[in-house]
Amino acid sequence: MTDDGLVDSLRSASGRLLIAGVAVLALLVLGVAGLVAPDSTAGRLFFVLASKSTLAATLRLSVPIVFAALGGIFAEKSGVINIGLEGLLIISAFSAIYGADVTGSLWAGFFVGILSSTLLAALFAVVCIEFRADQIIAGLAVWLIALGLAPFASSVFYGGPNTTNVGTLDTITIEGLASIPFFGAFFDASPAVHLMLIAVLVSWYVLNRTTFGRWVRAAGENPKALDTAGVDVSRVRYAAVLLSGVLSGMGGAALAFNIGQFTGNGPTMVNGKGFIAIVAYLFGNYNPVGALLSTALFAGLDATQLRLQTADVIAVPDSLVQTIPFVAVILVLALVGRTRLPEAAGDHYESGEE
Amino acid sequence: MEQAVHLDGITKRFPGVVANDDVDLAVEKGTVHALLGENGAGKTTLMNVLYGLYRPTEGRVVVHGEERHFDSPRDAIDEGVGMIHQHFMLVDPMTVAENITLGNEPRKWLGLTVDRTTARQQVVELAERYGFDIDPDARIEDVGVGVQQRVEILKALYRGADVLILDEPTAVLTPQEVEDLFRVLEELTEQGKTIIFITHKLGEAMTAADEITVLREGKNVGTVPADDITREELAEMMVGREVLLDVDRSPTEPGRTVLDVEDLVVEDDRGVRAVDGLSLDVRQGEVLGIAGVDGNGQSELIEAITGLRTPDEGRIEVDDVDRTTDSRRSRIEAGMAYVPEDRQERGLVMEYDLVENGLLGSQHAEEYASNGRIDWERTRGHAEEIIEEYDVRPPDADAEAESLSGGNQQKFVVGREFARDPRLVVASHPTRGVDVGSMEFIHDRLNGLREDGRAVLLVSSNLDEVQSLSDRLAVIYEGEFVDIVDPDAVTEEQLGLLMAGQEPDEVPSIAAAGEVGP
Repeated sequence: MTDDGLVDSLRSASGRLLIAGVAVLALLVLGVAGLVAPDSTAGRLFFVLASKSTLAATLRLSVPIVFAALGGIFAEKSGVINIGLEGLLIISAFSAIYGADVTGSLWAGFFVGILSSTLLAALFAVVCIEFRADQIIAGLAVWLIALGLAPFASSVFYGGPNTTNVGTLDTITIEGLASIPFFGAFFDASPAVHLMLIAVLVSWYVLNRTTFGRWVRAAGENPKALDTAGVDVSRVRYAAVLLSGVLSGMGGAALAFNIGQFTGNGPTMVNGKGFIAIVAYLFGNYNPVGALLSTALFAGLDATQLRLQTADVIAVPDSLVQTIPFVAVILVLALVGRTRLPEAAGDHYESGEE
Repeated sequence: MEQAVHLDGITKRFPGVVANDDVDLAVEKGTVHALLGENGAGKTTLMNVLYGLYRPTEGRVVVHGEERHFDSPRDAIDEGVGMIHQHFMLVDPMTVAENITLGNEPRKWLGLTVDRTTARQQVVELAERYGFDIDPDARIEDVGVGVQQRVEILKALYRGADVLILDEPTAVLTPQEVEDLFRVLEELTEQGKTIIFITHKLGEAMTAADEITVLREGKNVGTVPADDITREELAEMMVGREVLLDVDRSPTEPGRTVLDVEDLVVEDDRGVRAVDGLSLDVRQGEVLGIAGVDGNGQSELIEAITGLRTPDEGRIEVDDVDRTTDSRRSRIEAGMAYVPEDRQERGLVMEYDLVENGLLGSQHAEEYASNGRIDWERTRGHAEEIIEEYDVRPPDADAEAESLSGGNQQKFVVGREFARDPRLVVASHPTRGVDVGSMEFIHDRLNGLREDGRAVLLVSSNLDEVQSLSDRLAVIYEGEFVDIVDPDAVTEEQLGLLMAGQEPDEVPSIAAAGEVGP
């Protein structure tokens, strides 16, 4: 049998290959320049990029985006476009801190974060599936609810938009392996990073190899075909949207425990990561592995700009450097062209309609 | 013989409508039974009752000798009743095997994972048993409609169906594919399966079925053996009066060229050349028919000619005036009438009433609008004329277009366009979805326009229609004309081959000089 994920990505590969090719080429040029003239700007840039701490930062920044993207994939593959991922990240980030504060256990807090995000996703699911609301508007509502509710709850419990600090998850360090240059970052990382990598693989397996995954894809492509096969389309979609809540909850909680507190000013600490997640899974063509790689691209650029701000490598104003990841997002969207959306994404389905 | 299905006194009422009125239907095991009738005669409703989509208001459903109450298609499938709908219920990006096993996947590892090896093997064995030639690993989106239909049939068989209902199974097929389908049906009945197929095409019912039941206005008009009945008798049963099946086409002398298309290239939405260097001309007093399998560039060609799509290369002339880049309005004013293929998308505004819809396309005409003001009285009169002349039901000019049945919507659109006093009529599937009686009427009007010296360009997937109406018949394949033939001399088999892009021997080609290239 053919490998669905692989064929899919090859089909719409031209734009993606172009971007990947440009990225590799740029790295090669930088690498050569770095080796020839280590003291040049290019050389210093290369050493920034090739350092273990840049990879570590990339992985750390990827965690919430990848989790939210995985959630988005399940929801959208089932036919429900969940643009409320940002809101799910916000609510779970706050709840995780609050849960940890109350129970005194970070992992209990982690669970509370997942729970709250799943509840909000359940509300979204009921509104969209049961009451047939417009998915885009309902998704925006999820974001706005969380954007208002989380800082408000913080003010009630902590007297301000920022919560107290409950501490961070201990990193898992494997002696020896951790000192490998660059790739050592994988062995000296927060458990959230490992959880993320596992989640990506499990998601791929569930989507492409299990009956549930097959039903999710059928629900998003041709729900009637699934219905006439005797599978309840609404139940499949509920399950997929709830799953997007669980996964986003993991992302939001991991984000909060990375710092140890929730900060709720302005766009909150989530700051658009849920929306970048949408771009990431579209760019990754609904493939969990693709979503991980495209997130790594955005997060890598983000990590680089953070390092560039402090490392004093090139004389460019900070505010300009900070725009790099966002410029990249726009470039990627312009170059990749259109991703093929699931046929029935955004459509309501009611059994028995003729 | 054993009865596979017995519908006993089925009545199905919807608010305000009786769709089935005390219908009896008995189908013997191992036979092909055709359910024949006009649109709206209640064929599909009756089958939806048998398939568990509707519950009958009155009457009994008996399957294999036992009375059944189906609450959902799932119940029907469990009792061995499967239905293949007109619109296939397939998941395009999935493979043939994945589609057939969807919802009933063989599993492994705690029942969570699909056992893909077993699934594939089961599908291969099933296909072999019924003599289907099918690649289990092909994706649905990569295979043709004929194969997709076979996948639907296999899907029903995989779920254990021994009564198969097919809803208008030939609507989307080429003549060769129809033959293949009929062979498949024969093979299935030989193995003890029972087939019921819904159709409004007389010829098919007579060729493929053992018995034919005719429905008219929700009632069973009669069940007859297919071997001893004529087309004329069947048509009369369907319509309730005598019907002229063939258009009485008197010869005309074609006049000067009205529409002249040169080397036209049109790209479709994906940027593929849907029309690839095509030339044609239509003269006064002639019908140029275009036959072909849907999706071979017909839509793009028509859209370019009528001004709905910009051609990438080539010229379109009407009465020797270059109209290649003209607007819709100036094309209408140049005398171009257009019956679009999708009446709901392009023919009507569904939320408008018939008065407003009757004005569409004439909103700039002096007759109905002056100084930016619409003369509603005259507009209403115009709509009422169309309604009366074309027997649009209900005869109510204030009815919204969406409240009309498809056939009546089509009659209204055709009436409006033919009333323009056109120089050129571009008609795309002008009788799609209308019943035999209305079809006869529309054909008659189309022929009347021709005899009146108008030029007609006709596209239809109904071969009988293009063959009986056209003076010249062009066969389109992948955006080019394969040939232009004499419709009275060409056989259906030759047409089928041409539509598949092949050039059979001894085709009665009448290609005008330099107008056809392969």
